[in-house]
Amino acid sequence: MESRATTSLKTYWTTWGVLLVLTIVMLGLDQAPLPRLLFVAVMLVAMLTKAMLIAGVFMHLRAERVALVLMIVVGLFINGAILFGLIVPDAVRINEMGP
Amino acid sequence: MTDVTSSTIASSTALGRWDGGTCPFDAGWKKVLMWAFIITDGLLFAGFLGGYGYARAMSTVWPSQAEVFAIPFIAAMTFVLISSSATMASAVWAVENDRPQLARRFVWATTAGAVIFLGMQAVEWSNLIAEGVTLSGNPFGDPLFGAYFFVTTGFHGSHVLIGIIVLVTVSLRLGRSVTTTENVEMAGLYWHFVDLVWVFIFTLFYLV
Repeated sequence: MESRATTSLKTYWTTWGVLLVLTIVMLGLDQAPLPRLLFVAVMLVAMLTKAMLIAGVFMHLRAERVALVLMIVVGLFINGAILFGLIVPDAVRINEMGP
Repeated sequence: MTDVTSSTIASSTALGRWDGGTCPFDAGWKKVLMWAFIITDGLLFAGFLGGYGYARAMSTVWPSQAEVFAIPFIAAMTFVLISSSATMASAVWAVENDRPQLARRFVWATTAGAVIFLGMQAVEWSNLIAEGVTLSGNPFGDPLFGAYFFVTTGFHGSHVLIGIIVLVTVSLRLGRSVTTTENVEMAGLYWHFVDLVWVFIFTLFYLV
């Protein structure tokens, strides 16, 4: 049995509008004099929000079974987060290490 | 002999769905395998971006984005790609609502967006190469910048090119009424994945 999303055309184009607004906000913040850490945090949150909208609405994930969603979240995002989480602190540390 | 009632009840519970004889994901094999492909392809880009994060974090002379990139131009590219994703979603809606000719127009609009995006990417690459950015060096700072930029955006661009081939094929098959709703949806999943990757590249390369 295949699950079929019944998303309306209006929902798709509303999501498109939200994605554009988020992009414009990100571009605006790029010019704003924010502290670096706050800037990066806000950008990452906006980026992940856009990703969730595309995955949830356009790719119909919000209408799929939780098992499929978990397969993707664990397979992709958590692996990616581990990759970033393990690599970047090493990169920051390497400049502080002696020869 | 299995009791039909108890097997029906068992298949509707979380554990029962994995006992065999049912579809635990409630999706056809094409969708499950397309998602498996998306996961592996996504991990490819996660590797590139992870390596990029490492190189940038340990570098003391990483080029400033404002100095290297024309951000309004990149913003326009992002607008084109997001819009093409919306038209592809609309194509899937049209084909699910038995309107194949409307779906075909939406797929052609998506293809146009893809071609425009690829053309703009080519312009961006040409400008950077003219300014001296190569795989082994650049006049802006860390020599690794060019390698990470061209490899990551190059792989993304190759996915866009493959997407154009897929979209043209889907459109031609829609015109001849020889494709299914599921096939258009699978093409849509691929195209939205390409857009998803750009969301990460746009943020991590051009903004942060």
